[in-house]
Amino acid sequence: MTLFSGIRTSHTLLALVASALLITGCGGGESTEALPNTSGNNTTVSYNGPAPDTNDVLNFKRNVWDNLATQDKCGACHNDGGQSPEFVHENDINIAYAQANTIVNLSDPSQSEMVTKVAGGHNCWLPSTTACVDILTTFIANWAGGSEGSVKTVDLRAPEIKDVGDTLSFPEDSSAFAASVYPTLTTYCSECHTSNGQTPYIASADVDIAYEQAKSRIDLNDLEDENGDMVLPEDASSRLVQRLWSDNHNCWDNSCPDSATTMLAKIQDFIAALGEPEPIAPELVTSKALNLQSDGLLANSGGRFEDNIVALYEFKFGEGQTAFDTSGVSPALDMTLSGNVGWVGGWGVQFGPAYDDEDLGMIRAGKAQGTTDDSRKLHTLLTASGEYSIEAWVVPGNVVQEDARIVTYSGSATARNFTLGQTEQLYDVLHRSTTSDENDAFSTENNAMLLQATLQHVVVNYSPDTGRQIFVNGQPTGDVDPDSPGLLTDWDNTFALVFGNETDGNSPWEGALRMVAIHNRALTPEQVQANFDVGVGQKFFLLFSVSHLIDGMEESFIVFEVSQFDSFGYLFSNPFYIDLDDEAAPSGVPLKGMRIGINGREPAVGQAFANLDLTLGEPEYVPGSGQELSTLGTVIGLEEGPGVDEFFLTFEELGSGVNVRSEGSLPSQPTPEDLDSVSTVGLKTFEEINASMSKMTGIPTTQSAVATTYSTVKQQLPTVPDIKGFLASHQMGITQMAIQYCDALVEDGTKRTAFFNGFDFNANVADAFDAAGRSQVTDALLANFIGTGLDTQPTNAEIEIELNGLIDTLAVCSGDCSDPVERTRTVVKASCAAVLGSAVTLIQ
Amino acid sequence: MTAFHATRQLVLRTLAAVVLIATLGAQAFNVQAGAREQAKRMHDRIAGVPPSAQVLEDMEALIDGNDAVGAAELALEDPAFYDVTLKNFVAPWTNEAMSPFVPLNDYTATVIGIVRDNTDFREILQGDVVYVGDSSLGLTPYNVSNNNHYEQLEARVNGSTVSLSNTGHLVKTEQSVVNQGELPTGATAGVITTRAAAKAFFSAGTNRAMFRFTLLNHMCNDLEQVADVSLSPDRIRQDVSRSPGGDSRVFLNNCVGCHTGMDPMTQAFAYYNYEYDGDIETGRLIYNATGDTNDTSQVSGTRVMPKYHINGTTFEQGYVTPDDGWDNYWRSGANRRLGWDSNLPGSGSGAKSLGEEFANSDAFAQCQVKKVFRNVCLREPGNDSDRTAVSNIVTTFKQGYKLKDVFAETAAYCKGA
Repeated sequence: MTLFSGIRTSHTLLALVASALLITGCGGGESTEALPNTSGNNTTVSYNGPAPDTNDVLNFKRNVWDNLATQDKCGACHNDGGQSPEFVHENDINIAYAQANTIVNLSDPSQSEMVTKVAGGHNCWLPSTTACVDILTTFIANWAGGSEGSVKTVDLRAPEIKDVGDTLSFPEDSSAFAASVYPTLTTYCSECHTSNGQTPYIASADVDIAYEQAKSRIDLNDLEDENGDMVLPEDASSRLVQRLWSDNHNCWDNSCPDSATTMLAKIQDFIAALGEPEPIAPELVTSKALNLQSDGLLANSGGRFEDNIVALYEFKFGEGQTAFDTSGVSPALDMTLSGNVGWVGGWGVQFGPAYDDEDLGMIRAGKAQGTTDDSRKLHTLLTASGEYSIEAWVVPGNVVQEDARIVTYSGSATARNFTLGQTEQLYDVLHRSTTSDENDAFSTENNAMLLQATLQHVVVNYSPDTGRQIFVNGQPTGDVDPDSPGLLTDWDNTFALVFGNETDGNSPWEGALRMVAIHNRALTPEQVQANFDVGVGQKFFLLFSVSHLIDGMEESFIVFEVSQFDSFGYLFSNPFYIDLDDEAAPSGVPLKGMRIGINGREPAVGQAFANLDLTLGEPEYVPGSGQELSTLGTVIGLEEGPGVDEFFLTFEELGSGVNVRSEGSLPSQPTPEDLDSVSTVGLKTFEEINASMSKMTGIPTTQSAVATTYSTVKQQLPTVPDIKGFLASHQMGITQMAIQYCDALVEDGTKRTAFFNGFDFNANVADAFDAAGRSQVTDALLANFIGTGLDTQPTNAEIEIELNGLIDTLAVCSGDCSDPVERTRTVVKASCAAVLGSAVTLIQ
Repeated sequence: MTAFHATRQLVLRTLAAVVLIATLGAQAFNVQAGAREQAKRMHDRIAGVPPSAQVLEDMEALIDGNDAVGAAELALEDPAFYDVTLKNFVAPWTNEAMSPFVPLNDYTATVIGIVRDNTDFREILQGDVVYVGDSSLGLTPYNVSNNNHYEQLEARVNGSTVSLSNTGHLVKTEQSVVNQGELPTGATAGVITTRAAAKAFFSAGTNRAMFRFTLLNHMCNDLEQVADVSLSPDRIRQDVSRSPGGDSRVFLNNCVGCHTGMDPMTQAFAYYNYEYDGDIETGRLIYNATGDTNDTSQVSGTRVMPKYHINGTTFEQGYVTPDDGWDNYWRSGANRRLGWDSNLPGSGSGAKSLGEEFANSDAFAQCQVKKVFRNVCLREPGNDSDRTAVSNIVTTFKQGYKLKDVFAETAAYCKGA
């Protein structure tokens, strides 16, 4: 038999150790045993018997007997004269020790009979069997004394060999889709999701394209649940439904529930049309099949540093309103969940915001809170040591929330012993000591974006030596506590431990907690790193049998480390190949294109091993250790849940199995719809206007006054040629430019003479604009600005009428003609600007 | 200046007259366009300025002689085509905000030079080329750490005495020369490795911006349009959360669509960074040549910039970039429609070969034509006639990849009836 061991086995294949886990059968007596009396408050017991014979007996007493001898636990039955084994014998600790030794495994406490018996349903004193199991394991591990960083070995055992089950699969032909889902998609989604619009092209005019794009967004399990009831929109896994139901994504008829219901009904019509499940396609080269919970081997190999834990929450229970403290340190500081709190698949709790429920009214934001009595143990144990660590695996729901409390031991919004909180992308630590103000936040400002809306391991350390330190994902953040180290003597023992909110409920945090541990010693950086490396959540090894594909290899498996990643997906990582027969080794076995299958189908998304192309054999293959296939991991969407989903692997090539896959030809692109016709004219844009005016007037763009004005009004001028985008502000900018160019032109003696040939700029305004003078001005403007012979321009006569009217108006002095010659130039400038800044030069 | 202000007051008071003329001008466009009007429109659209009387005559004659393309080529000779039209055509490509209000820079100048000199336009994504102001202009020399050279050049451009159209003013050189010691020839990739592009798209971040904006500006597709969730996610880096906010559906349905194709191609830029100390305007492009190495928590002794390994604990089982090898996953799946060149391998090392991959795709050629079409015709190709014209112009473009041909052909098509 082969064992697989390691701390965080992710990256290396560790040595395999030959041994077997021997689990003895449970003792009899179930039919006659008395149930413990758990109704009283028998939480303490005094011992008056003989002294412990040895130190180990003393350790046993402190760590196991003291905790279990009470009437509310094992003391009601397994006492002196009670049921065997009498491991909580109340009159002789040495007898109890001897009896206990028959039902514990000190090298692997979790495999102790005392633990497995309770795990099998034997009189757990809490509502959660897993909580009792964890607590018992902790007691025994503490007795064993070697818990710190200890690493277990994991036995790789061949699972039951099962073929891949029958399944529904998408037909090649799109007709069923065309008759069911497609009309709904084209009716409601075609404004965006056509072939020339946004992906996915689920409403493409070409039904085959729409079908291909919709496949990954339809879950063929969405017809009926395991009880045979029709799946409801809130439970549907099809992305097409989720986008409407959960995301409110462009629903129609003003109702997302109705839209989602309609979409699901069409999908269910489609699924119903597919008939009964059929065996998996014969051309596929597949491994044997596995289920996570029934076939997976627990891969959690320990290695966490938990010697000084005083409160521990792993959130394993998965239901109910209590998160159990499984630290084993009395009193248990269990947390009561209230408001918008849900359990996360793969261990954890999710805190959501307040919302209005149609039936239940206002639901408050989520919170988990312990009693002040139970919380007092934190005060007692942490002030006694004068230091602590708060360790948590967190998944912030977003990076915009502020004043959000993740873990707090406090009495109000402004009174606390410690708080771990979030402000946007910062973790905040607030803490009361003789040198720190309880309301001054110490934050991860060294890296302004350290907090990410993803799973992160956060540790807050406090010790008189170092002050506060924050570690994220095993690494110190580099922030230095501005306060000098102090004492915890000012701590208040009337506060309560709260997760996801403040005691007053006014500082909600959105996100998930996957684990919280409070230590009464500061973890060392090495311990923080080790605890981060161990990870969080329940992990399994899945051994996919491939012996039938490789000649001469009778116990061959491809092994994945698998865990439930969150409520919606599984993490498959670090695959390796191994034959459990240490004497066997493959030679030159090709392995190509490995994909993960679930419930008889290959999901389209997440196939991170599809490009794998290697050969199994020595020297990469080491008998007893196997051969690493990849260091990568990938997330596969959860369908029915870890108790139901059936996994398998497919291969393009493995050993004797070959399934050459070729990609079909690219469907032809549908002809885009014609666009509405648009104006054939457009605006000149900012620099075109400047350059045009420059060219028409002969004034260079670099002329200082012109350049200054252009620099000022540049961004006020049109930036796009769309005539519909023309604004009054554009005209104001254009006018200023036109005035500036005309001013520069008229004030330049040489240029104006060349431009307005013959016009007398030294004449008084009253004389300058006689018929000849006017003609000299208007003809020059028409010739240089309008052009000649262009039917697309207004006629000269039309413009002359406007210009003459303008000159008539301006030539009449109304009291401000102190310099009639200057007035002449002004009238010319104005006339020039009126034409230069008009549409005849600005339209293209 | 008093007189100037008086003029401004007077003219503003008579704005009504201006508006009236504006109205008249707009109405006048309902008139059927003859050859002369077509010539005027072509010149306006190509050069952004009106033609001289003589050029208008010549263009009219060519159009009358059924040579509209020849007429357009006359308009292309106007300096304003380079100083105004091309500059503002290119300027939005050089910054993330896609603003045209940015100073002339090496990216813009290089594209202008390549067009002016009728160089194969594919060089903009793969060539060891950069255009600079000629030393005779007395400008501050090109500097890898600022843009002063180009800003001075732009300030001198006036369409007559100094112009980007003038081969004696805007001259060609090599990036490996102006950036000697930092950028070997093999590490040059046209505008991708210009200082302006580096400042905009290699600064901070993860270099994915360079990929996205190259895709957007030169393939005319944003990531949303090329998202493909069905490709293998095996090259998605560690910094991408597989469960944003604790919901892996977001990754599996959204994030993965872009990252499957983007990450394996962005790997081509693994040795580049834009380094600056506080002031981004004084930063410079740096490249890890052979022997330049960085150590990160995941790997040590590679030439990969540390930015490729940041946030490595976000998803530890993600891809750890070992080098600048890239693969084009879009040669499979729906993005085959981008028309990749079957004569190229679809993989390589570094920005130059990735630029070559892009530049030889159908999408690249189509994109250039569509951009010019929008610029010259002032609209998107919107009907069968337009689409056929675009297709024909793409065919012409591919014969020599001369962008001036595209402007001429497009202007001729949109000259009006």
